[in-house]
Amino acid sequence: MMLKQNALSFSRLMVFLGICIVVLLVVYPFVWLILSSFKFETDIVKYPPGTWPSTFTFEQYVRVWHKLPLLRMFVNTVIFSGSVTLANCFLCAMAGYAFARIDFRGKEVLFILILVSMMIPFQIYMIPLYIEEHKLGILNTFAGLILPRITWPFAIYMMRSFFVSIPKSLEEAARIDGAGEYRIFGAIMLPLCRPAFLSIGIMTLVNNWNDLAYPLILTNTAEMRTLSAGLALFVGQRVIEYGATLAAATISLLPLLLAYILLQKYFVKGVVMSGLKG
Amino acid sequence: MENLLARANTYLNKPKVAAWVFLSPSILCLLLFVFVPLFVAFGMGFFDITIFFKNIRFVGVANYRELLHDQRFWNALKNTAYFTACVVPGGTAFSLSVALYVQKNTGFRRFIRSLLYVPVVCSMTAMGIVWAMLMDPTIGIFAYWSDILGMRNFMFLKDPNWAMPLIMLMTVWKTFGLSMIIFVAALQSIPEYYYEAARIDGAGALTQFIHVTLPQIVPVLGFCIVTSTIQSFMLFDQTYIMTRGGPLFRTESMVQYIYSRAFSLSPFRLGYATAIAEVLFVIIAVVSLLMYRFFVKKEAGGMQ
Repeated sequence: MMLKQNALSFSRLMVFLGICIVVLLVVYPFVWLILSSFKFETDIVKYPPGTWPSTFTFEQYVRVWHKLPLLRMFVNTVIFSGSVTLANCFLCAMAGYAFARIDFRGKEVLFILILVSMMIPFQIYMIPLYIEEHKLGILNTFAGLILPRITWPFAIYMMRSFFVSIPKSLEEAARIDGAGEYRIFGAIMLPLCRPAFLSIGIMTLVNNWNDLAYPLILTNTAEMRTLSAGLALFVGQRVIEYGATLAAATISLLPLLLAYILLQKYFVKGVVMSGLKG
Repeated sequence: MENLLARANTYLNKPKVAAWVFLSPSILCLLLFVFVPLFVAFGMGFFDITIFFKNIRFVGVANYRELLHDQRFWNALKNTAYFTACVVPGGTAFSLSVALYVQKNTGFRRFIRSLLYVPVVCSMTAMGIVWAMLMDPTIGIFAYWSDILGMRNFMFLKDPNWAMPLIMLMTVWKTFGLSMIIFVAALQSIPEYYYEAARIDGAGALTQFIHVTLPQIVPVLGFCIVTSTIQSFMLFDQTYIMTRGGPLFRTESMVQYIYSRAFSLSPFRLGYATAIAEVLFVIIAVVSLLMYRFFVKKEAGGMQ
């Protein structure tokens, strides 16, 4: 019995050590990134390399604004992912409501259309989309970036499940009072959506803020680049600016990291719902 | 006039009409920006189109025939398959094992859970930059450590044989938190008395896992495997940031090759690149359909 106890605690110890290594491996690159962004260039490339800066400096954060149109990229990213997120919440709530609550002809066909489009990755049709935007004259504009993303089939699917779960009695009283569909949707349903908006909105925001291939293909001037695409092209250049790149990377991560610290529950909620329902 | 407005109002308030009003923005957007390009793609593979849209020619199946002899295409297909075959099972197994540990709701484990999710929130671009610098053979700290540990002159991403495995590791690092969090939710929803019953029957930890845990999480497992398979076939961001497909094309993925053919290799052949995208589409359609049927069967089998 004693032996078994020992064996048990030994394996527990091993598991604990293993998880500690995993946590260290996950955390270290972030610690390194943030600390290194406060180093002088010579400190970053010195041998042997270290983690802690010999002297702290804001130099890289000052320099990066001259090396990169960082403010422009930041504003572009906010405009692009912000408007996509807002549009997604409202349009997907509207569509989800129609699928969940109203009976109309062609509903099944349309819903299958939504499910099918959920399964098609953007990379498959990126070239025809590029040509289409070129012909429409919206390539390299905010319209070209935002319009294809104003709706998200996956979010429609989630909003539909959300509205299905709301008891019908809520709207029936309003319907008896003579309220139309729009009144019911605007006055009763939308206020109920707040938590759903938060988790779906966060998913949309994270996906679009971080997206690389999509803005890379649909923009072609420095003025229109998002943080992700601009940074990717910056590191592809011949001359490598280690410090400036790290400062820019830190700035690009900061908003989502702060949001994650504040709204952690909602970051996870949407993902979990998608996994358990899908 | 007022009469007309009132009639318009009653018309618009008919449930059927309202449904179309609610749906039309989304449906229009999907038709215009997903289905139109998708159908155009099926035709485009039969044309010779460059990015300047001049001298567009119908070439029949020439693009597809050329594909058969295009070594870079086969290489990209091989790389992508290699990546998927390792990352999907490896990543899923890793997420599930971590999830088994962090599923309990103690304060410490909750904290670890939220730490491990952080890479998922961050962009592949920024994380790729960080990992590429950490593994840089001259300035990277990982290279320095591997030197100390006796792996002299290990070139990391510049080593043709190791570049892809390292990209895989980085991908698992960046993405495992996502399926981990889904697995945690699934594991927590298994009623405790299932385990109690198994324990009374004398089942050990492993038997409990195989006969109680696994059958309960089959649907979630299927979801995670199918989505991560599709994502793995779309491999692009990591290789674009960290290796640009090199060294010796050993990390060039299908999407990377499509991108290069269309937008960065002169002559910018959009028709040919689309033909490659079509092949990729057929592959993921077949693979995800097979997987879907497999998991639906498993699920049905589990219920009997």
